[in-house]
Amino acid sequence: MTKEINMRAIGSRLWLVAVLAAVLGWPGAAFAAATITGTITFAGKAPALKPLAMDADPACAKMHKAPVPAEMLVLGNGNSMGNVMVWVSKGLPAGKTYPAPKTPVTLDQKGCVYMPHVMGIMVGQAYRILNSDGILHNIHTLPKINPAFNRGQPATVKEMTTNFPKPENMFQVKCDVHPWMNAYIGVFTNPFYAVTGADGKFSIAGLDAGTYEITAWHERLGTQTATVTVGANDTKPQDFKFAVK
Amino acid sequence: MSHPTGVDHHKPHAAHEVHHEELGFWRKYVFSTDHKVIGIQYAVTGMLFLLFGFVLMMLMRWNLAYPGVPLPIIGTLFGDARMPGGTMLPEFYNELGAMHGTIMVFLGVVPLAVGGFGNFVLPLQIGAPDMAFPKINMMSYWCLFLGGITMLGSFFVPGGAAQSGWTSYTPLSVIAGSGQTWWLVGMIFLITSSLLGALNFLTTTIQLRAKGLTFMRFPFFVWAQFVTSFLLLLAFPPLEAAGVMQLMDRVAGTSFFMPSGLVVSGQVLANAGGGNTVLWQHLFWFLAHPEVYVLILPAMGIVAEIIANNTRKPLWGYRAMVYSIVFLGFVSFIVWAHHMFMTGMGTAMAAFFQTTTMIISIPSIVILTSLMLSLWGGSIRFNTPMLFAVAFLPMFGIGGLTGLPLGLNISDIPLHDTYYVIAHFHYVVAPGTIFALFAGIYYWYPKATGRMMNETLGRIHFWGSLVMMNVVFMPMFIVGLAGVSRRLFDAGSAYDFAQPVMQWNVVSSWGAWLMGIFQIPFIFNFFWSIRNGKTVSANPWEATTIEWAAPSPPPHGNFAVEPQAYRGPYEYSVPGAAKDFTPQHEAT
Repeated sequence: MTKEINMRAIGSRLWLVAVLAAVLGWPGAAFAAATITGTITFAGKAPALKPLAMDADPACAKMHKAPVPAEMLVLGNGNSMGNVMVWVSKGLPAGKTYPAPKTPVTLDQKGCVYMPHVMGIMVGQAYRILNSDGILHNIHTLPKINPAFNRGQPATVKEMTTNFPKPENMFQVKCDVHPWMNAYIGVFTNPFYAVTGADGKFSIAGLDAGTYEITAWHERLGTQTATVTVGANDTKPQDFKFAVK
Repeated sequence: MSHPTGVDHHKPHAAHEVHHEELGFWRKYVFSTDHKVIGIQYAVTGMLFLLFGFVLMMLMRWNLAYPGVPLPIIGTLFGDARMPGGTMLPEFYNELGAMHGTIMVFLGVVPLAVGGFGNFVLPLQIGAPDMAFPKINMMSYWCLFLGGITMLGSFFVPGGAAQSGWTSYTPLSVIAGSGQTWWLVGMIFLITSSLLGALNFLTTTIQLRAKGLTFMRFPFFVWAQFVTSFLLLLAFPPLEAAGVMQLMDRVAGTSFFMPSGLVVSGQVLANAGGGNTVLWQHLFWFLAHPEVYVLILPAMGIVAEIIANNTRKPLWGYRAMVYSIVFLGFVSFIVWAHHMFMTGMGTAMAAFFQTTTMIISIPSIVILTSLMLSLWGGSIRFNTPMLFAVAFLPMFGIGGLTGLPLGLNISDIPLHDTYYVIAHFHYVVAPGTIFALFAGIYYWYPKATGRMMNETLGRIHFWGSLVMMNVVFMPMFIVGLAGVSRRLFDAGSAYDFAQPVMQWNVVSSWGAWLMGIFQIPFIFNFFWSIRNGKTVSANPWEATTIEWAAPSPPPHGNFAVEPQAYRGPYEYSVPGAAKDFTPQHEAT
């Protein structure tokens, strides 16, 4: 009896190996493993930016012991740039669809600042808006293609959810109660986008072998593009350098 | 008995006698051309909308009393887009606020006061068999109905109903969600309804009055409706034009009210520009201030009838009241800009409009004083209509007197858009006009149904409403004087300066909810009495005006014999007379 079971298990594994070999051997079914990475830096002398002025709402000002730095230009060591959105703008297989993740993208309102400041989301993916401050905020998206979302979020409404039905390049999210609160969001049909941290680094993984156009966007310094060719399992660097024009 | 000369005599009664035909259900009760049926349609529609508008306000009052606190059970019914977890979002509050004002004014009070009482009572009171244009009368009601359906439907469009206040100030209303388009279309229907009605009332009053019914023999109610119709006819067209212009700004890319270079959400708006946003305010208030008198004059007319009847003596200063109401009608067209002192008008214009505003208070005071003096020395019968009519006097007095500081530039600016304004005009139209409308319902209900409403339930309704009206609105003066804006969805809970008066919002809200409870006896009484009320004769109040000559309820054509007027409307307690009332239509 035990021997029969073992034989059956071995047989199953052989089938599994055969299926895997067939899948891997099929030309169109290669695992997408190419990655594009890079670092984004700021060229020139960093401007002296005024901190955010929150005096208009004392409830916000009280939440911070120190001035809150401006969000429009976040620089790290070596003038690395944070809050830059990088995405694959051309070269993806035509007609191929990518399911939206089940997990939501979260925008929090904390200390009267949007967190994160720049974000990407896939079409139809849940957009979760939190109000950690416990004061009245207002979330007002300013898209050109998607329907605008403009809704107050009173102190006791801790969470709201929406989504974006159409792809759209970067657009602004603002709070009509607190004019310094800004965020930017891009809506994509695929998962090949990334936002740089303060170290300026990004990584877009899981691409098929091919030639792609990569776009880097900054809220004040504009947009740059580059063309990158990657082979299967390649990791190709593509840096960008922004400057005040 | 001879008749005064100059009266246009007609023979409509004879005509009706020959064309009486048995009408089917739809033509008799739904698409009726009978002024009484249309009057009842108007009245019931108006009352339903008053109730609906009142419910909207009760919802608003929850968030004003308990900002941010989820409304138990009921709150969850409105869905996450409006009340997530039962907590009211500001946008929903704005919907409620805009639609409360719109519905109460244009779909509640006007249809009831003018369409309801005007249609039912006026032709009877002048001894006419019907309105001059019965089919236009029907069309007028159905325009109102369509306007009402459009307004209600707007709650279900994406983004919800209009959120720009009942005044729909541009440019916000032009860039607002699609509910505002529905609001404008609805208003066009409602204005058309009022214009058709006004034409009909004017023609009917002039052409179809009974033999002998000279203008100075008109009951004061007829004068009130007559002047009101002029106001509607002359003031509404500018708003209708303005409504179409705003509609074009929204849907056709015009810029009647949209200035060039308007920045919306940090971006310059892509529109033609060149428009003037203050123009909307001028056009709106050119209607809306006379509209205040559209709301109050029929109320004064109702109260005058009931006070004369229940004091058993003529109205004190009838002629002065008539001259005052006519004067008031004229002057009401040159006071509108006192709503706009904050727009930065020049001192010369401000001086003009505050002067006219002070002047218009004089005829109002003459009328109110005459009504009060009419009580003096009377054998007063304190029945339910009289209780409401008498309560109208001080309530309207409070509303009127608290309006004086708003008519003066220097005191209006700090009070503008605060709860003080809300308290002021609600004293005029809620315990003012609506009390008068309740008085009128109790008074003419026997004429419409042939039965009396229950007196005990009426008194419960009256005393509860009187107390609660003041509990609702008196605290708003305190809140307003503290500077709290009327537009804040959370009653200003985020502001330090509002904290000392926040508790008054709780008082107002409980007053509103309890007032809602005190309307239950009225609603029950209204329906229960249709079948169970005490049956009455043609003239249960022993009144003098001509409507009481008709049977209760009056048949099609109203009068079995064409009535004539032999005297003034208020011949009560005439010395030497056999009884204490001498009807207008009785020859001796």
